[in-house]
Amino acid sequence: MARVKDYGNAELEEKLRDTYFYTTDSNPQFLEDVKKISRTAANMCYQCGTCTGSCPSAPRSSYRIRLFMRKGVLGLEQEALNDPDLWLCTTCYSCTDRCPRDLAPTDVIMAMRNLAFKYDIVPRNFLKTVQLIYTTGHGVPNNDVNRAARVKLGLPADPPTTHSYPEFMPAIQKIIDHYKMKENADRILAEEGQ
Amino acid sequence: MTETKEESRIGVFICHCGTNIAGSLSIQEVMDYAKTLDGVVVADEYQYMCSTPGQSKIIDAIKEHNLNGIVVAACSPRLHEPTFRTATQEGGLNKFRFEMANIRDQNSWVHMHDWEGATEKAKDQVLIAVAKARMLEDLQPKSVPVEHSALVLGGGVGGMQAALDLASAGIKTYLIEKAPTVGGRMSQLDKTFPTLDCSQCILTPKMVDVGRHPNIELRTYTEVENVEGYIGNFTITLRKKARGVLDPTEALERGIIGGGCNGCGDCAEVCPVIKPNPFEFGMAPRKAIYIYHPQVMPLQYTVDFDACVKCGLCVEACGEEKRAIDLDMVDTFEKVRVGTCILAIGYDFIPIEQKTEWGYKRFDNVITGLEFERLICASGPTGGKLIRPSDGQIPKKVGFVLCAGSRDNTGGVAKAYCSRFCCMYSLKHAHQIMEKIPGAVPYLFYMDIRSFGKMYEEFYYRIQNEGAKFIRGRVANILEDPTTKNLIVHTEDTLLGRPVAMEMDMVVLAAAIQPKPEAERIRQMFGVSKSQDGWLLEAHPKLNPCGTTTAGIYLAGVCQGPKDIPDTVAQAEGAASAASIPIHTGEVQLEPYFAQCMDEICAGCGMCVPQCPYGALALIDKEGRTVMEVTEAKCKGCGTCGGFCPGGAIKMQHFTSPQICAQIDAFLLKGGEY
Repeated sequence: MARVKDYGNAELEEKLRDTYFYTTDSNPQFLEDVKKISRTAANMCYQCGTCTGSCPSAPRSSYRIRLFMRKGVLGLEQEALNDPDLWLCTTCYSCTDRCPRDLAPTDVIMAMRNLAFKYDIVPRNFLKTVQLIYTTGHGVPNNDVNRAARVKLGLPADPPTTHSYPEFMPAIQKIIDHYKMKENADRILAEEGQ
Repeated sequence: MTETKEESRIGVFICHCGTNIAGSLSIQEVMDYAKTLDGVVVADEYQYMCSTPGQSKIIDAIKEHNLNGIVVAACSPRLHEPTFRTATQEGGLNKFRFEMANIRDQNSWVHMHDWEGATEKAKDQVLIAVAKARMLEDLQPKSVPVEHSALVLGGGVGGMQAALDLASAGIKTYLIEKAPTVGGRMSQLDKTFPTLDCSQCILTPKMVDVGRHPNIELRTYTEVENVEGYIGNFTITLRKKARGVLDPTEALERGIIGGGCNGCGDCAEVCPVIKPNPFEFGMAPRKAIYIYHPQVMPLQYTVDFDACVKCGLCVEACGEEKRAIDLDMVDTFEKVRVGTCILAIGYDFIPIEQKTEWGYKRFDNVITGLEFERLICASGPTGGKLIRPSDGQIPKKVGFVLCAGSRDNTGGVAKAYCSRFCCMYSLKHAHQIMEKIPGAVPYLFYMDIRSFGKMYEEFYYRIQNEGAKFIRGRVANILEDPTTKNLIVHTEDTLLGRPVAMEMDMVVLAAAIQPKPEAERIRQMFGVSKSQDGWLLEAHPKLNPCGTTTAGIYLAGVCQGPKDIPDTVAQAEGAASAASIPIHTGEVQLEPYFAQCMDEICAGCGMCVPQCPYGALALIDKEGRTVMEVTEAKCKGCGTCGGFCPGGAIKMQHFTSPQICAQIDAFLLKGGEY
């Protein structure tokens, strides 16, 4: 835990905060939780960098999956979960395919997102996706442009999903309700003043 | 210039060495030039002269052109002189009718980008070699008989293995150990990686074997005092240090039947002097009469005369029957004759307290890896209970500082090399902590984990899986919390990119290793070189790792460079094999490069005798005159005496003055006349 210097000025305190990693910064339970949810031995990562090297997001962003593995091993819960990069994984699973220690870094990321949601740490677009799935069954619902394109290709305007079979919507909503995802998404967005 | 007895008929052969030579200079030009030289009757070239067809060219040319001298311009004589000498011999010539010009190592490799210059230099080299070849004489190698016995210096695991191998091959072997018991460093270890065998358990059978083997003469508490002689015929003076205690054989020699030390320990019980035990790094006491540990070989007590107050209580306790203790004992000397010697003198740790940033000897809870071994060892001072030196508490968070003084170019006590076994023993320590202390977490601060051996990487995997934490960053410094005596370890987690300040209950330093302080004296006695880092120098790092440049002296174990136990044992077996070859052959051939005294010129002044670094020269009476005589087997052909002799009476075979003058003339006059 960074030492408080007591400058009497919150802004200065934050600016001059030391960045040491102290033993007390570590929450060992975080690693255990990640391992349990991801079902991969995240502690065995030896930081070779194959995952970041395989990652299609890495060259286009600041996302470094290796660093998330490291933060998991060290139990740096707040740092990992508050990092907006956590949400840049496309879940392509290239890293999992290539990991020499046969780990699943993708699943570690999914586990961390899962844990982040418990702290209400979710980007707004993901929350809107939840709302859209709840109302339409789609993260990206069909729209007029798409419908026109489908018709032009000789396809039905709507795909054979909940768009064509709205009678399945209650079942989807039941699942989402079970996990209180919609409820939480609505609440978080409301708290943000949306 | 002395006249040549026969007309010179020289063959010159130029090697391409693939493109090693041919890629940097013109083989054709050098060959054409060679053909013009005085005495050269044939010149040829080939892609690889050392190959069978290349050698056949030499053999065939000798027969076809009736040659009496061969010059090969190729690589270094260290590599292929023996090859081409054999070819010369197969062609029917004396093998010393061969001369080599090193146009690769000394020319094409250093003048890689100067085609003309390299070609000119190669011509000169060939010219000089031909000048010498015209003067070469037939020489006969000298054979000397080899003593059927060997000496192994150092009774650690390497020395013991070498001695056991030699002895089992039927060679009488003297095993010399300066401590009162064999066992060495390995007997101080608790467990061994990666199998986690108990170190003592796998070592004691070897200790018992060296004590019992009929071909091993075990000399403990003994040091080498002096070395004389040469391969096959070493005379070594041993100093048997005053031990103050007789073994049963020595007791019998003094007429004490059934006497001598039986290791009962009654003496130590009554001894009033208490000292720190160096075997336990001072963490346990011992008496002035002591044994290191219960499994010592031989089981015989030793009196520390620096501490003994000669009260005589031990003599009384030992009793009239055994009469094993003699407090007036003095050092004795013994001379042994052996054919070959193996040095297995081991290593020490650097004084890691001089790297002050880690606080060893300043902070109670900073210990070294070897101290950790004793603390975790069931037969150690704490009975195998790992405790903090400051308060006896059980540590829960233990930091390991890897590369503590290794891979460090700052000089002082630091060492530039990798000490090679610290990664693995630190992993083993991490395992032992997690095994013995529930909930304890080891933190390994490392630069690289070098788990290179068989099953080593798998061991690393296992320890990581057991929960050890790895922080990639060399420890910058350690601070102590004065109240709790906890330690704050500072480094950077280079994988996270963040500075680290972690509080540990205890820190273990994987200190670098270095040669023993006595290694310098020992290597000078045995005539062995050292490498830049101070370790004893092998004859060739890849192709002769057990031999040295002194014939008959071999190396085993860490004294040659950092090694773990498997590598030490493997090298010991290699050294034993190499050391047994001359003994089993029964004789060794010496290169006939020795000095010869021309009696008719020698004035008997004797000024050469003290110049000889090998003690090979002496004055003798011969036909009523005093002349110098060379003990050819001792002579190394260094030329010191030959260069020094005021009368020019000493001839250095194969490097005679006329031969060398001819080479100089050839170079300076470029083949012209005076």
